[in-house]
Amino acid sequence: MSGITRLTGRGCGSVCLPIVMILVAAALWELSPRVFKISPYYFPPLSDVLAEGWRIRTIVLDGIVRTVTETLLGFSAGALFGIACGVLFALVRPLERAVFPLFVVSQTVPVVAFGAIVIIWFGNTIFAKVVIAFYLTFFPVTVNTHAGILACDPQKVALMRSFGAGPAAIFWRLRLPSALPTIAVALRLGISLGLIGAIVGEWFGDTVGLGVMLIQAMYTEAVVRLWLIILCCGVVGAGLYGAVAFVERRLVWWRSDA
Amino acid sequence: MQFPQSKHRSPIDRRTVLARMGRFAMVAATAAGLGVVALAGTTGGAAAAEKVSLRLKWLTQTQFAGFYVAKAKGYYDAVGIDLTINPGGPNLNADALVASGADTFGLTGGAESQLAAADKGLPLVAFGVSHLTTPYVFVAKASSGITKLEDFRGKKVSTWFTGAQHTLKAMLASVGIGEKDFTLVPQSATMNPFIDGQVDVATATLYNEYQTLVAKGLTDLKVFRADDYGISVPRDTLVTTKAIAEGKPQLVQNFLEATLKGWQYALRNPDEAVDIVMKVDPSLDRAHQAAQMKVLRELMLPPGAPGLLAIEYPKIEKLAQLLKDAGVLTKVPDVHAAFDDRFWKAAPDSLKKL
Repeated sequence: MSGITRLTGRGCGSVCLPIVMILVAAALWELSPRVFKISPYYFPPLSDVLAEGWRIRTIVLDGIVRTVTETLLGFSAGALFGIACGVLFALVRPLERAVFPLFVVSQTVPVVAFGAIVIIWFGNTIFAKVVIAFYLTFFPVTVNTHAGILACDPQKVALMRSFGAGPAAIFWRLRLPSALPTIAVALRLGISLGLIGAIVGEWFGDTVGLGVMLIQAMYTEAVVRLWLIILCCGVVGAGLYGAVAFVERRLVWWRSDA
Repeated sequence: MQFPQSKHRSPIDRRTVLARMGRFAMVAATAAGLGVVALAGTTGGAAAAEKVSLRLKWLTQTQFAGFYVAKAKGYYDAVGIDLTINPGGPNLNADALVASGADTFGLTGGAESQLAAADKGLPLVAFGVSHLTTPYVFVAKASSGITKLEDFRGKKVSTWFTGAQHTLKAMLASVGIGEKDFTLVPQSATMNPFIDGQVDVATATLYNEYQTLVAKGLTDLKVFRADDYGISVPRDTLVTTKAIAEGKPQLVQNFLEATLKGWQYALRNPDEAVDIVMKVDPSLDRAHQAAQMKVLRELMLPPGAPGLLAIEYPKIEKLAQLLKDAGVLTKVPDVHAAFDDRFWKAAPDSLKKL
């Protein structure tokens, strides 16, 4: 990585490289259907997809706003719940042994299987989608919080204790801060999973959202629309990931993987 | 450790905050009081509307225009029904949602799913049927050389394994083609394999897939209709639980009549009906929805049909026997228990025709 950075000039690598890659991908998308004479039914050129997006821009925007709202609500709830559970499991080991297996079981069941039940419980409300986003988010956050807190250097704990720090001080000043980089990684994972949860949640009956548009396009063979929604999901996902990464860099500047 | 901000905190600040909170509390209390008065006003006036929900079998589209039109035109409000229309989706089973009580009414698969529900002992009763003729057909391209049902022999046929396969097998059996005489493959969400020629015959609903094929330029299709071979699968059944049908017959009656009114208006004013549906879901393709609306007319009121949303027992009994013979049903259920036409009979005839 450092070699490439040196090649592209200092400071430019992290910004210019992705932009160049995106432009290359866009060019390939635009040109390959034309050069290889691929039917738009199989792979429409990017310009067709963007034109469709412009044509229905208000609808797309409404869909994005709805899906992002669901994602953020589900992600926030999942992150808070995950961090709380991870901390609890790390501090109270018997609880971990008792409850954690249930968490694992919950994650091995495909979320689609829960769909009907979520609808029975919460109806066709935005809450039903939030719950599914929550369901996909909390697990990685729990696991990473748990691992991060347990990975705390025992020598540092001993040092703080020797200065007379109580368990609360050790937790707030040492264990949690040293776990934050690990938790932050889970949050980046969680926001992507939360988006998937919101989209899948919309498959259980709604009229607004990227997930609804995805299904409609799928079942009416509207291929250009399908690519448009795929593109939107990608852009939204990348945006959310970037936002979380940005906040992380600001708040957890001591992260270990930087 | 002291935080720098704490230096700037003063008692005056705190007082202003308290005063602000007080003012907010007063405004909130007044608003809440007004709300209570307003609420009392509405409940004290006209009879309180009953909150009711309808679960559709699929996403919002003109296939369900009658309900959306009746809602938009206030036909449900007029009979004291506050209706929420819940769209379905690929992973939702409207029967289960109604049986569980999550939804009051459901527009479910069709006669075959209602018979299966009765066979499984689900406490559901159908009180109306939308499509009085089989809404799906089997299509072949002209280039495949298939011109009659006998030509299916040795061909690759794709269909949905959610009931349509029994219709297909029964049709083919009527011309002496057994299950071993052709290749049957499950059909997925996309018509691609048919368009590409990977399968010779595909299944299409007249209101969705068939329209998609036509829109893609496949206008020269040979269409095989089950009804031409004496098999009819009425579809899109209106169901509720037996408990509601017995306990709140007036609610069911009102719902059915408002729905009939909605369908009558929708079929008489197809353009406006499409507009109403498009308003609910603007992301829909208008041309596709308009084409769908046009097909509904012939599915819901085919020549010789008793009227909109009619329950035709002879067709259903014949289908029940067919499904029993195919091993889908353990017995021929009591179709008069699974389909109850007393509400439909009590509805004025003027609502059932165009």
